[in-house]
Amino acid sequence: MIKTSTQNELIQYVYNELAEDARTQLEAVLMHDNELAESCSELLEMQFLLQNAMKSPGERAINNILTYSKSLSLQS
Amino acid sequence: MNKTTQLSDSALVSLYIAGNENAFEQLVTRHKNKVFTTILLIVKDTYTAEDLMQDAFIKAVHTMKGGRYNEEGKFSSWICRIAHNLAIDFFRKEKRSPMITLEDGSNVFNTLSFSEDSAESLQIKEDTHARLRELIQALPQAQREVLMMRHYADMSFQEIAEATGVSINTALGRMRYALINLRKKMQHNDITYDKNLYSE
Repeated sequence: MIKTSTQNELIQYVYNELAEDARTQLEAVLMHDNELAESCSELLEMQFLLQNAMKSPGERAINNILTYSKSLSLQS
Repeated sequence: MNKTTQLSDSALVSLYIAGNENAFEQLVTRHKNKVFTTILLIVKDTYTAEDLMQDAFIKAVHTMKGGRYNEEGKFSSWICRIAHNLAIDFFRKEKRSPMITLEDGSNVFNTLSFSEDSAESLQIKEDTHARLRELIQALPQAQREVLMMRHYADMSFQEIAEATGVSINTALGRMRYALINLRKKMQHNDITYDKNLYSE
């Protein structure tokens, strides 16, 4: 059973927010704790999937924004 | 290469305020997907999300050009917060009940290069991502909020904790449960996510 504090550290680790010393310690534990390593792997997998689940808007919408900004510049 | 492509958001904002439109184009290019996805996850309709994304950037334009931009904090967090607020406002005004929009697959992740992928694997990816977005929408509100702030608004867990009035451990716990819930739901729905499929 992984402690809640360790699970929270794992989240910070996956999102690159863990302080240097804590990261070193966690990486040492990950080397020999299979359960923790598996949890880490699963979190990284989900993180990667979420990052790629972003959707792009249509070009027309982007062009509208850029055109609007330029039109304001011309007015001033 | 455009000289503005390597600059920080903060530098681009300064250039834009000084009149450089290329700098603004870079900012839009960098953040359009996060802003759009943030809105889409709330309003669940592609066309409405595009309209609100335009409103969000136009609001940002007025703030920056009007000299009211606060340089504290990150541009990405700021623009995503504007987007989030506009989407919530829209939802309240419309008093709409959540609805799921069918994904037409017309805007297939053009931020990534899938040139070597077959049409079939592209379709599997799009289906998986579309289903994932639906599952995010179905998360408990507190979990969805943390997930969206961290993933799409680039806020740190400390910033999220402060913005939502909870401890950092609570924010981390919500994120953990959000990821665990999503994973379980994906497995329950038998959604394919083969690591090899997603390797770059």
